[in-house]
Order: sequence, then C-alpha cells, then structure tokens
Amino acid sequence: MKKLLTTILVAGSCLLGGAAAQAGKSGGTLSFLVQPEPPTLASYVSTSGPIGLVMPKVYEGLFDYDNDGTMVPILAESYDMSADGKTVTFKLRKGVKWHDGKPFTSADVKFTVMDVLKKVHPRGPNSFREVSSIDTPDAHTAVFNLKKPAPYMMRSFSAYESPMVPKHLLEGKDIKDAPLKNKPVGTGPFKFVEWKKGQYIRLDKNKDYWQEGLPYLDRIVGRFIPDASTRTAAMENGEVLYAAYNAIPNIDAVRLKDRKDIDVTTDGYSMINPMALIEFNTKEGAFVDPAIRRAISTAIDRRFMIDTIFFGYGKPATSALSSNFKATNLHASMPNYPEKGDKAAANAILDKAGYKKDGNGVRLKAVLDIIPYGEDWRRAGEYLKQAMGDIGIQLELRYEDVPTWLKRVYHRYDFEMNVNYFYQLPDPVLGVHRHYGTDQIRKGTHFVNSSRYSNPKLDALLDSGAGEPDAAKRTAKYKEIQQILAEDMPVVNLFELEFLVVYNTKLKGVYGSAMGAYGSFREGYLDD
Amino acid sequence: MSKSSKIFKYVGKRLLQGVPIIIAIVVINFFLLNLAEGDAVDVLAGEAGSATPEYMEQLRKRFGLDQPLPVQLMVYLKNVLTLDLGYSFRHEMPVNALIFDRFAATGLLMTSTIILAVGFGILLGLLAAMRLNTWKDNVITIFALITYATPLFWVGLMMIVVFSLNLGWFPTSGMTNVAAFYEGWDYVVDVSRHLVLPTITLSLFYLALYTRMMRASMLEQYGQDYVVTARAKGLTERRITYVHVLRNALLPVVTMAGVQVGALIGGSVIVESVFAWPGLGMLAFESLFARDLNLLLGIFLLSSMLVVAVNLIVDIIYCFLDPRIEVS
Repeated sequence: MKKLLTTILVAGSCLLGGAAAQAGKSGGTLSFLVQPEPPTLASYVSTSGPIGLVMPKVYEGLFDYDNDGTMVPILAESYDMSADGKTVTFKLRKGVKWHDGKPFTSADVKFTVMDVLKKVHPRGPNSFREVSSIDTPDAHTAVFNLKKPAPYMMRSFSAYESPMVPKHLLEGKDIKDAPLKNKPVGTGPFKFVEWKKGQYIRLDKNKDYWQEGLPYLDRIVGRFIPDASTRTAAMENGEVLYAAYNAIPNIDAVRLKDRKDIDVTTDGYSMINPMALIEFNTKEGAFVDPAIRRAISTAIDRRFMIDTIFFGYGKPATSALSSNFKATNLHASMPNYPEKGDKAAANAILDKAGYKKDGNGVRLKAVLDIIPYGEDWRRAGEYLKQAMGDIGIQLELRYEDVPTWLKRVYHRYDFEMNVNYFYQLPDPVLGVHRHYGTDQIRKGTHFVNSSRYSNPKLDALLDSGAGEPDAAKRTAKYKEIQQILAEDMPVVNLFELEFLVVYNTKLKGVYGSAMGAYGSFREGYLDD
Repeated sequence: MSKSSKIFKYVGKRLLQGVPIIIAIVVINFFLLNLAEGDAVDVLAGEAGSATPEYMEQLRKRFGLDQPLPVQLMVYLKNVLTLDLGYSFRHEMPVNALIFDRFAATGLLMTSTIILAVGFGILLGLLAAMRLNTWKDNVITIFALITYATPLFWVGLMMIVVFSLNLGWFPTSGMTNVAAFYEGWDYVVDVSRHLVLPTITLSLFYLALYTRMMRASMLEQYGQDYVVTARAKGLTERRITYVHVLRNALLPVVTMAGVQVGALIGGSVIVESVFAWPGLGMLAFESLFARDLNLLLGIFLLSSMLVVAVNLIVDIIYCFLDPRIEVS
C-alpha cells in the first residue's frame, strides 16, 4: 500500500535539540496564576480550564503544536498514515519513564485512548470516535485502526486534549475515582508535589525527564487569588509572573503592558479558538423565523463590541467558523456578517418579513440571557439591548448564576436568545459540529445544540465533511456548510475572542506552543 | 454549691440546649439550600465543557443526589450525629478534612482580628470617654466614623496599593511565600507578614464599632448612682474609672463581640477574597456557586456551633466581670 507523505521522523531530535541548544538558565521558581481553583487534577476526566493550566506540565501528549500549527513530537517520535487514512502508526519515544519509575510503553497509549479518553473524557469520544482498535506490535509502536478516516484526530494529541496516563495506576479501578485523580503521575517535565486547597499547587522539576537538560525551572507554583484587583497587584509586584485566560482583566492588562517589565500577547489560544455568539431558540419564542436572526446578525456592530467592551482584543466573526480555520482552508467569509453593522439593512429585512413596528417603534419583545462569566458579558448584553432596540426588537436582560443558567438553556430550553461563547477547538468536528448537528440536540448536555436546529441536508454534509481525507473536497464541503448556516443562522457568531496572556518579561521560553498556557512550560526559564 | 460546680452544671445544661438549636439550623439550611436551582453535577458538567446525560446520571447516583430530599436529609443527619460531615464532591475530599484545613487560617485571622478590634476598640473608647469633648475625643470619633463607613474591599485594595506596591513592606496576598516554602520559625514569620494587612483591614470595621460602643457605655456608667457613691467615699477618679466603671462598661462590648464571632466567618469573605487568604469564608462562597451543599452545610454547622459556644463563653465572662450576675 502506498503511504501518504506524513512521516515526520526527523523533526523530533532536530527541533528539540535545536531548542535545547539555545538554552535558558537553569533554576528558579515560576509562580503563575490559576483562576479559579481547579475542582480536581484529573485532566483525563475533565477539560475544565484551570485543570488545563496545571496538568499539561505533569502529563504529556503524543504531540504538541507550535504557533504555526506544526506538530511537535513529544511522546511519539513520528506517525505514519496509510493511503486510505484508516491506519495510523505511531512510533513512540524510547526511554520515557513515569514519575514513579515505571517505563512508558505502547500499552499505556492503548489503555489511555481505548479505556480512558474514549470512555470518560468529555471530548475524547468525539476525537477518537472512529478508532475501533489499537494494536501494539511492540512496546514502542501503537497502530490505530479507524473505521473511517479522521483527519481531525491528528489535531487532538496535545497534553491538554489527550493526556497519556499510566495504565498501571488506573487499570482495574474506577477510572473517574482512582487515587490518581488528585495524585497525578505523568511523564512530564514537572512532578506533582502538593495541592494546598485555597492557596496553591506545587510542581517540582522532574530530574529524570527524557529530554536531557530540560526542564530549566526548578519549580512551578500555580497560585489561586480570587480577587481580580489583587491578581493584578500580585502581577505588578512580581509575585506572579504569568497569567492567562483573562485572569488579569483586559482593563488592567492594557494598563500593565505599558510597564517595562510586563508584556501582553494573544498567542497561545489558536487551538482553543474561542468564539462569542448568540444562540437562538429555533423551536419556540420570538426567533423561530430565520429572517429575524439574519436581521439581528446584520444589525450588530461587531467592531464596536470588540473595541469598547474588550479593549480591542478580538476579531469580528465572518462566518460560522473562526478565521483560525484558514490554516486548514476550511474558513470562508459569508454574507450577513457585516463588521460595522448595518441597521438600515436589518430594518429592511424585518419590514420585508412583515414585522411591523407599533406606536413605540417596537416590532417584538424578547428576553436575552447572558452567560454569567463576568462583567464583560453583561456589558455585551447591554450593548445588544440598545442595538436591537434600534431595529425594533425590545430586549430584557437576564443574568443568573452558573447552575441556574445552565439548567435554563441546556436542560429546559427555557430561553429565546442567549449570549455565550464556545471553544471551536483545532477542528470544526471537535468544536463546531456540536452546535448544529441533529444528533447534538442532547437535552441535559451542556454546550451542544441548544438551538435545537435540525437540517438533514446539513447533517449529511457535517457527516461527510468530518471524515473527508481529501483536503480540497473537505474545503468545498465546509464552504457549503457555512453557506447554509449563514442563511439559517441558528447561532449568530459575534466575534473571535482574543484571550490575553499577561507575563513578566523575565519569564522566557513558554510562548512557542499553540497550546499557550495549556502547554508544558518545559523550556521556560527565568532571565533576570 | 460552690461557684465552679455551678458553672459546670450550667455549661452542661447550655450545651444540651444547644443541640436541638443546631439540629434545627441544619434542617432549615438543608431545605433552604436545596431551593437553589441546579446541583453540583450541573456545575461540574458545565465546567467540563460537555458531558453526556448518562455520565451526569451516574455522577448523581454516586453523590446520592438521585434520592428524594427527605431521604437525603435523613442520611445527612445520621452522618452529622456520628460527626461525619459527608463528602465534598467538588473537592473530592471529606468535608471534615477540608473544613479542618481551612479553619486554621480562618481561626488565625479571626483571633487576631478580635484581639486587635476589641483591644483597640476598648482602649480608644475609654480614651474618648475620659477626654470627653476634647480634640482627642473628636479625632477618635471621626476616625471611627470614617473606618465604619468605608467599604472593606476598598480599604483592602488601598492597603495593598500603599503597603505592598508602593512601600513594599508586605506581600499582596496569600498566606505563605510560595517561591520559598519556609519551614520552622521562618514559616511563622512568613505567615505573620502575610497576616498583617488582612487583619488590619478586617479589624478596622469592627474597631470602629467597639470604639463607639465603649465610649457610649462608659459615659452611661459615669452617670450611675454608684459612681456618685464612690466619689462620696473618697475613691480616686483613677480607681473609679478602672475598677468600677470600666468593668461595668465592658459588658455590652463583650456581648457584641460574642455575637459577631459568627458574623466574622461570613464578613471575612471579602477580606479573604481580596487578600487570597485561604479561609472558610471563601470556601463557603465558592461552594455556594458550585452547589457543593455538603460542604456548605458543614461550614454552616461549624459556624452555628461556634456561635453557641462563644455565647456560652460570653455568659461565663459576665459573671467574672460582674459578680452580681449568677449562672443558674
């Protein structure tokens, strides 16, 4: 069988060797902000944000991804995909040991994917859904057998998305409840030492790390500081050196970046791909008619929202897919997504659809629910209320606490219009399909198709687009998907959020991974 | 019957009376908290991004949340009676261990705050009353009013700006220096340094209260007949103030301090949050949003026990301050 040219044998030693040669200084403690405190440390069970900040330093994935999206070999040295895309063979790194001294082998990979990620991970069943079995001809080879080609699977091997976990500590136990969950044993550059509830998590250097000379840091401490102003003060005082996922609010970040010792970057989120959006109830309430949803999308001044509420950090959405998918040629700009908003056009759409204004200029009334994740979203809601008022849609805002809001939107479908944000992740199959597929109308499951939008034509396209191994054909299919969605708009995308990393400039070497704060920090060092 | 055996009997009786009160508090809290929509499983699943309904059902079963409410309550009460406060599914730890761990931090902050607030409050109130209507009295009164009226979080943040960022005397937040991990005496010194700003911030509010109260109470006592009698007996002003008036004036202040111990756990949420102090207030606050009811109930139980205990201690202090008051 002719093999596809996907082998990246050499990259391993070269890339890493090169990086290590540039070399940072050894020693020192990095303390960084973890906000909020994680519920557990089982990154193989939960993808919760704060777990992602800590655990990729302890557990590793088969690959990492650099800022250009190139795969960087970590626990796998290379992979090889068969021509039909249905067999993927991984060559695993030799001489890797778990923190308890046991060797890392292909049995661990098989166990992790088949018994852990495919079963208990929130997104694993999706990422690895085509994997029917894994063969382990020797201790350093793992062969993934797929039912259908799954090109997107290759984007989900990072330590955050698919951490490799020790079979010998989980096998035969209740995986969600095994002691490993709060006493992690990985292969990564840092070992777990202590979790002091309400204060910090401490990780110390793994002296037996497989990569000679790494990591540079002696210790990493993740600190929990509940108050945003105090987090900013701790950053200013040099008590913490790194803060991601808006632990430092934008309003403070723009002030801090003027300091000599503090800088700000938007890198490190491209695999996460957060998108701000409005979900509509397409089954009942005010927004059943797609024309109204198109009018709303047309009326919104996305540029204004980004500049005024998010201090310029963000990109206006131009389709159902994030522009970060341009890297894989899946994104196409669509109509009904004006950057500045066109209220005249929106009014025209509504007039044409027959929604008359009453004496007060009101066409219809509705309630707008707002994601309870902070002040910024509340302000976004206030803007929307005003902008929609201009086209005759009178909104009332509703802001509840997290459990109440989740129940309302994803359990009871008791909403009309909901401001939210979704992670689109490194491939639409992983992050976008869950929004629109009929099979994703799953009452009681959070962050899936709450619009209850169902379109058999779209379902067929999503299904065939997912496994399409030919890049050009895949592009065409996703273009058609985006066209249908720009017409029906069960969800109106607002803008691509640009989260910030605020960091002290003496911390170096942690900015090269596309995983950003969810990376391993193995090449991080302090340069005073 | 001797006084001490009387006191023992009294303590025993009061403790017995406390039991039904505490059980009633537990039951009321249990139903109140269950009125809130959503449960711990919803929050956990929501944070995880997405989870299947089967998984959530499984979690509910494991947490015992699939049982009807009265059954859950009976199970909880049974556990409480065996001093087992249950399991926090959020933290994946027994509630006892969690609370015990955090109580040390809260206890430290509370004790230092009470000592500072009551101590200085009594001192300032005394001073103000003795120098009635002089500039000293005015300064103390104005100081008390301003500190009472200033929001706690603002005071905390200003403390950080002045003493951490500008002067660099104290760390901004936390309980220990996480870059160092001190041991032995260095650890004690380190914790004390971290304790200074939160203690001052939290005491300021209560300090004002006690100052005002002490001043009023002193003035009231000065007007009593026994003071006239004492003067007529030819006692010095000093002796009248420190032996007779002060002891009587302390009673309302001590009562107030006793009542406020319970409030301190709750009132410290803001200070704990601003200074990232790992205490119970913060834990209670977080567990409310995580719908971690076991943990929340445990904290409430502890604070209700604390209030009962402190009120008892206050009543006993009464009889030492004022020998006319007898326990019965």
